[in-house]
Amino acid sequence: MLQKPPVIRHYTWHLGFIAWLLHRITGLLLVFYLLLHIWVIHNIASGPEGFNKVMAVVQKPIFLLLEIGLLGTVLYHAFNGLRIIIVEFADNAAASHKTIFGAVMAVAAFLFLLGGIPMFMHFLHALSH
Amino acid sequence: MAEYTFRIFRYDPEKDETGRVQEYRFEPEPGWTVLDALNYIKWNLDGSLTYRRACRHGICGSCGMTINGKNRLACETQLKDLGTTVVTIEPLRGFPVIKDLLADMPPFHDKHYPLKPYLLTRTPPPTDKERLQSPEDRKKLDGKYECILCGCCTSSCPTYWADKNFLGPNALLKAARFLFDSRDEGFEERVNVIDDKHGVWRCHTIFNCVEACPKELNPTQAIVDLRKLMLRGRL
Repeated sequence: MLQKPPVIRHYTWHLGFIAWLLHRITGLLLVFYLLLHIWVIHNIASGPEGFNKVMAVVQKPIFLLLEIGLLGTVLYHAFNGLRIIIVEFADNAAASHKTIFGAVMAVAAFLFLLGGIPMFMHFLHALSH
Repeated sequence: MAEYTFRIFRYDPEKDETGRVQEYRFEPEPGWTVLDALNYIKWNLDGSLTYRRACRHGICGSCGMTINGKNRLACETQLKDLGTTVVTIEPLRGFPVIKDLLADMPPFHDKHYPLKPYLLTRTPPPTDKERLQSPEDRKKLDGKYECILCGCCTSSCPTYWADKNFLGPNALLKAARFLFDSRDEGFEERVNVIDDKHGVWRCHTIFNCVEACPKELNPTQAIVDLRKLMLRGRL
């Protein structure tokens, strides 16, 4: 008997699988962000000067751009999480999980634009100075 | 019809170290299913090809296999619906392979025993009639009892690929079929198996089982319903 047969063709991806995969990836990214965030905040212990030094680094344009990515990551993770909660707790919602995905992602995309455009303007402003 | 290429997983335990791909090219008749094509290969081209089949009508659950990267019943999959003339056929993944397309199913079936997939009662039956059920209560079992045990759902589940102790969508659907039956009184006997880290809580709502089920059942719905039942039990 062959315990681990080789795979000829990868299993077909579909919305539920991609949504789960992105949820995992964004979840890991958020863990890394939190570690970074705690590291930045902990520098407050070294007094105002040391803290300002670190803050000057994380306020560079590249970080302003990364923050837009952070907004997207948080929004995806939060709103896909909302979809999972709806699937889990609403009655007979599992069959319509794709529609629910579309609905929550529309809200997430709206919020992303709402927050992302001013953040991008801020980034451009920082670049020109 | 055009000429089709069938790329089929082959493994002979007496000759092969591991699985390999063998290609067959021929022109199938219009209206053929994947199972018809496999039969054609076995009867005309290569008698050594091994696979399970029985009813040819999508009710015995024997011919579940991975066709073009998705678990389906070979007998219910029309070649023309695949939308390509290259057809890749693999045994159901997540299980050991005995030979060619023959997946070893006991790891799948064994998941049912601890769940006691039969009516459990403590109260004595009425002496003058059977245990009756109202049409409304009967309706609660729709989408739960139709399973044909083909294995397409559990074999498509990434959680099962990663955790072979996970009960899998199929066994949990079966558990729901009895736990939501108004006549069944076996909650106590089953709850410890389901309310476990390898039970309902392991599911990550990836929905591969729902995509794969040839009977269009929804094991994920059964799993979330069971979770709600477990939560209510705890509250």
